[in-house]
Amino acid sequence: MKLGSVLSAVLFFITITTVSAQTTIEWWQFWTDAGIKPTINAMVEEFEKANPDIKVKVTDLTWANGHEKLVMAFASGTAPDVVELGSDWLAEFIVNGHIEDITSHITLDSGEYDGWSMATCQDKVYARPWILGTRVLFGNRDILNRAGYPEDTLPTLLIALRRMTNKVTSMKTGLYGWGSNTPEKHRLYKKFLPFLWSFGGQIFSDDGKVCVLSSGKAIEALRVYKILHDSSGYVADQRGIEDAFLDGKIAFILSGDWLLKRIKLENRKINFFTTVMPGLELPGRSFMGGEFLAINKNSKNKDAARKFIDYLVSPENQVRFCKANYSANPSSKKAQQDEYFTSDKNLRTFISQLRMAKNPPVDPNWVYIEDIIEKTVEDVVFNNKPPAATLLDAQHKITALRKK
Amino acid sequence: MKGVKLSVFIFSLPWLLTFVMFWAFPLVYSFLIGFTDCTLHNFKFIPWENNWTGWNNYKDLFQDAAFLSSLKNTFIFVLGTIPVTTIIALLMALLVNRRFKGRAFFRAGYFLPSITSMVVVALIFTNLYQRGGYIALLLEAAGFSVPVNGFLYDSGTALFAIMAMDIWMSVGYYMLIFLAGLKAIPEELYEVAEINGASSLHRFRSITLPLLKPVALFILVINSIKSFQVFVEIFVMTKGKFDTSTMVYFIYDTGLATAFKFGYASAAAYVLFIIIAVFSAVQFILLKRKQPVW
Repeated sequence: MKLGSVLSAVLFFITITTVSAQTTIEWWQFWTDAGIKPTINAMVEEFEKANPDIKVKVTDLTWANGHEKLVMAFASGTAPDVVELGSDWLAEFIVNGHIEDITSHITLDSGEYDGWSMATCQDKVYARPWILGTRVLFGNRDILNRAGYPEDTLPTLLIALRRMTNKVTSMKTGLYGWGSNTPEKHRLYKKFLPFLWSFGGQIFSDDGKVCVLSSGKAIEALRVYKILHDSSGYVADQRGIEDAFLDGKIAFILSGDWLLKRIKLENRKINFFTTVMPGLELPGRSFMGGEFLAINKNSKNKDAARKFIDYLVSPENQVRFCKANYSANPSSKKAQQDEYFTSDKNLRTFISQLRMAKNPPVDPNWVYIEDIIEKTVEDVVFNNKPPAATLLDAQHKITALRKK
Repeated sequence: MKGVKLSVFIFSLPWLLTFVMFWAFPLVYSFLIGFTDCTLHNFKFIPWENNWTGWNNYKDLFQDAAFLSSLKNTFIFVLGTIPVTTIIALLMALLVNRRFKGRAFFRAGYFLPSITSMVVVALIFTNLYQRGGYIALLLEAAGFSVPVNGFLYDSGTALFAIMAMDIWMSVGYYMLIFLAGLKAIPEELYEVAEINGASSLHRFRSITLPLLKPVALFILVINSIKSFQVFVEIFVMTKGKFDTSTMVYFIYDTGLATAFKFGYASAAAYVLFIIIAVFSAVQFILLKRKQPVW
């Protein structure tokens, strides 16, 4: 009886100490649709099983109001330990001092991942790249065949793309050569920047100090973007362009891996191909963005948070995530070599494009800078303002904004 | 008596609480934070704990090209839609006030757009205004030139296209108010005028118009308040692009969508509040002065 009581007391003590030693970390993330959520839950469960001292509490955010929730949470000191942040938002949270500097923790495996530039601010790294994204050229093979192009013709250069889109539109069969975006906020600049970079233009000088948006290369890039729009553009928002492409009305559009997902999930019978962004003399540069995992600077569980992030970004888990979500661009270079990606020609295009993709500068004023760039494209493409003067005006505005 | 007073207070409490929480408090609070530079990132609940910047937000607003453009567009919208809406609504009311077969059908038909959801109407018109949309096709068939990118994707036509849709949508509602005004005019006045040999145009100018003045002024007041606050159409159709941003859209974009500048957006909201207050006051003075004797 006595022994029984002692054993019970010991067991009780052990249970209490185990429970009290368990660390709970909070993770706020955006992957909520039925295709990917079970994978997220399974990964968390497996992590908890492998690390019995850590418990992960997952909170789902939506793209519609996730940003506001995050800002409010950081401002009120109730932000989670681990947070998923889109590349567009990273600078904002870094500059406001919400994110932990992880520079000293990533040196060992930094070469094994892509996308660090988006999480680097003043030579310090603030987040781990998780799932990246880029834009590639989608083409409709049937339309090109009708326009007389042989089966394997690809527009590797911008001049060829221009010729092909013109030819399709000039057939006057209700088909369009090119899908051109309306000035949608946060979208239009992602369509123009690949042209700017493919012409060798930049937003800022190499040292990041001077705005060079009115360079000759930038003017030429905007001029060609307008020519494509004017001569063969089906004009709609991104969703509208993709709908028209899937309905077989447009020969070429620039889009991301979500379109591959739509084609598969909606079982579209479209004869399409993907190829990298055409350039001037070589393949062009495309836009790169992505999802990052960051640690709250005020987290009390930074070690556990780091462990969890390391687990999520591991090559195996990235492949698993991409398979469930039809994502094409894991940040892990090892994951990119997985057969899942190398055996699919469209996924291969995305992996190739990622190596020739650039991200916008990490700048605290980026939301305003992108607004100025979008207004410039809108003025030139839709309001027929001269590219040189409009870009110069934009350059002055950006310079003034940064001085302020 | 005391019991009666307490019960009045208790019964009015739900309204009182709602009024204080959702009207009075935000009104005072936004006025105070309009003098700070608080954003979503540095926001502190107690207004004076935020960085106090005095009148700077108001000064900056009148040097901000985006705000000035939204101010201009709001005035174009208000001054462009109100007279047209009022005149068409009056003509329609006169028309459906006559006795003819199928009158009820036309009354219901004209009124129908005003009870349809603005979002639904805006989405339908977005398609109609597109390149290749029915409106563009009809106009082209009639020999008119239409913008190459459609009416909404052209700075020269976008705001006017939205204004046209707004007129189409709201005219039926004001027609109904005019109709009520017409019904209230004593029939005897027309009979006497007719006996004295007054023409129909003379009867309209001397009886209908003067007696409809209070109704017309009421319509002007509510329509101008509504027009100054135009937002949904802009949000759904253009997101403020193509020179269509209005003041409320500017406030939304500055305070809640792009920069989360609460202080700056609050100052802009107060500028709008003052404009509407002045506009309404002028109309109310006119309304009071021109009250006819029945």
